[in-house]
Amino acid sequence: MRSELTPAKGFVISGLLSLLCGALFGVIGSWQHVLPNFVDAIPFVKSRPLHVSLVIAWIFLTAVGGVYHYLPKIVGVPLHSTRLAWLHLAVFIGTGFAVIASYFLGRFGGREYWEFPPALGIPIALSWSLLIYNFFRTANKHKGPWPAYLWMWATGVVFFLITYAEANLYLFPHFTSNMVRELTVQWKAYGALTGSWNLLVYGTAMVVMERSTGNTAIARSKLAYLLFGLGFTNLLFGWAHHIYPVPSALWIRILAYAISMTEWIILARMIHQWRATMEDGKNGSSTLFGRFLFASEVWVFLNLGVALLISIPAINLFAHGTHVIVAHAMGSTIGINTTILFASVFFIGERAHSGPTRAGFWIFNGSLLAFWLCLLGAGIVKGWFTVMTDLPFQKITEKIWPFIAGFAVSGIGLFTGLSLLVWGALKVLLASNNKEEGDAHGTVELDAIPVENRCPSMPEKVMQHQR
Amino acid sequence: MVAFNKVLDGSNGPSGFGVHRHRVVYFVLVGLFILQSGLTYTVSTEAASPAVELNDAAQRGEALYREFNCTACHQFYGLGGHMGPDLTNVTVAAGKGPDFARAVIFHGSGLMPNLAVSKEQADDLVAFLEAVAATGTYPIRSLDLTPWGTYEQMHSDAK
Ligand code: HEC
Repeated sequence: MRSELTPAKGFVISGLLSLLCGALFGVIGSWQHVLPNFVDAIPFVKSRPLHVSLVIAWIFLTAVGGVYHYLPKIVGVPLHSTRLAWLHLAVFIGTGFAVIASYFLGRFGGREYWEFPPALGIPIALSWSLLIYNFFRTANKHKGPWPAYLWMWATGVVFFLITYAEANLYLFPHFTSNMVRELTVQWKAYGALTGSWNLLVYGTAMVVMERSTGNTAIARSKLAYLLFGLGFTNLLFGWAHHIYPVPSALWIRILAYAISMTEWIILARMIHQWRATMEDGKNGSSTLFGRFLFASEVWVFLNLGVALLISIPAINLFAHGTHVIVAHAMGSTIGINTTILFASVFFIGERAHSGPTRAGFWIFNGSLLAFWLCLLGAGIVKGWFTVMTDLPFQKITEKIWPFIAGFAVSGIGLFTGLSLLVWGALKVLLASNNKEEGDAHGTVELDAIPVENRCPSMPEKVMQHQR
Repeated sequence: MVAFNKVLDGSNGPSGFGVHRHRVVYFVLVGLFILQSGLTYTVSTEAASPAVELNDAAQRGEALYREFNCTACHQFYGLGGHMGPDLTNVTVAAGKGPDFARAVIFHGSGLMPNLAVSKEQADDLVAFLEAVAATGTYPIRSLDLTPWGTYEQMHSDAK
């Protein structure tokens, strides 16, 4: 039996292709730092937005695909409207091509960082409204209190639209006639926009863990709601840790500092639980998706540690405006988001994976670690010389060159690993005779999953990291 | 299996967002968010002096800065791309200034490409950079740390 193409799979497949193209433009962009005339036809002003927009598209296409896939199974009823989901996908893909075309034609949004000509935001917002409608019409049929992940998704889909609208406020002169306001609101909107897709991704992580272990209590425990509440608070009020040096009102920045520090609670909790898991000798690595979930926990740990440090203004003074921030952004979007999304993709299309796919896992994680460390190194050196000396930009650029070269080289490794994984995932999703998770109808059949395929990881570890 | 069904029908005790208390917390947070947004859009980002408000030329320059995607390579207050230097204070920095900035914008330099900017456009871009420079100082080179983990300038530059 050939597995049927659903809107959910359509989203995931589009996401995978988007990732592959986005990573390729990333390689081009990184090498343009090392070899100035590398791929002249696509100069850096174009390769950068092509890279950023396509990899962000991977994150929310695949996260949305997960919502469309799991939601009916969680609630135990079919999606309210499959047709609207197809329409959503069609509008997204159409708009995606328009965005890419506009970059090639040299038309940019010109702000940081998910930017394109603002008119193209209209179809995105309209089609997103279809998702919101479909989500609530389906989720409302859920009996009993919502598990934490449904709240994460509901909050994520709604806040995505709110913060996306906020990101477009710059179209009014009230916001652009004053640079302090323009910068503050820009980072407020994008900080929260990132937070809202993180909610979609972490909700997905919880669902995969629940469905693979059959343990439905965790996502309904007091702790799960508490951590969600903490994460939500950080989404709403923590964004100003990105803009400590921008001279807006002091309370905005001090509030963000205070709120960000609550995340130490999450980190402490993680370390505590991690030790317990290690002592049990269980790390959930018997399946590919289990390995990805485990890897995402390692990345959450590394990134949360860095994030917490750079949220302290005295340390931020050195890290801000340097590659430490890039390392943090890459660690979160690749290390955490991408790893969780691959866990979901390989869970949706679960079966034996070929050697190249497994190799892809290791190449991906190994290269990412090198990539991340090079960026951290470059950032620390740049931060030190920027704050402590008057060295001009050109001299500092020379000093960080070895790190930038290492970053560009490991980027090729990252691209190689991702290509193997995308290839493996596409094969699984498009294969015939697919033994899929989708064959189970409703959460009740969780019990049917053999114990050896279950992943014993603990959802609350990865669910909260709203940056 | 029995326990599982209990969770589904909500008879499993006091957790969950079905619980009134949790919903109240949620909507209080959303209310505070709306309040904070309103303040951030208005009084908390008010211009400190008229020099900080962008005049017509500076507003045209700001639009050009977006059109040419300068942010792909440049930063203000450390926010933006990393290929080129931060531009917050380029028009007032020792040994640089408006004419220097105009020349680099017009001709390009090193990894900075010649973007085929016209003379008028270069003037507007420089007017914009001058308005940005009036908003404050970056990078911060003073190491006056406070016991709270903040630094002095974060407090003194606040409006
Ligand atoms: C492809 C990347 C790139 C783009 C796009 C770019 N720049 Fe640059 N810019 C640079 C680099 C790199 C330098 C440093 C040049 C050097 O080393 O001589 C620079 C230098 C400058 C300087 C001098 C700064 C200093 O402190 O020495 C100014 C001013 C400037 N750029 C303005 C702009 C403006 C305005 C735009 C948009 C119209 C722009 N740049 C677009 C890369 C870029």
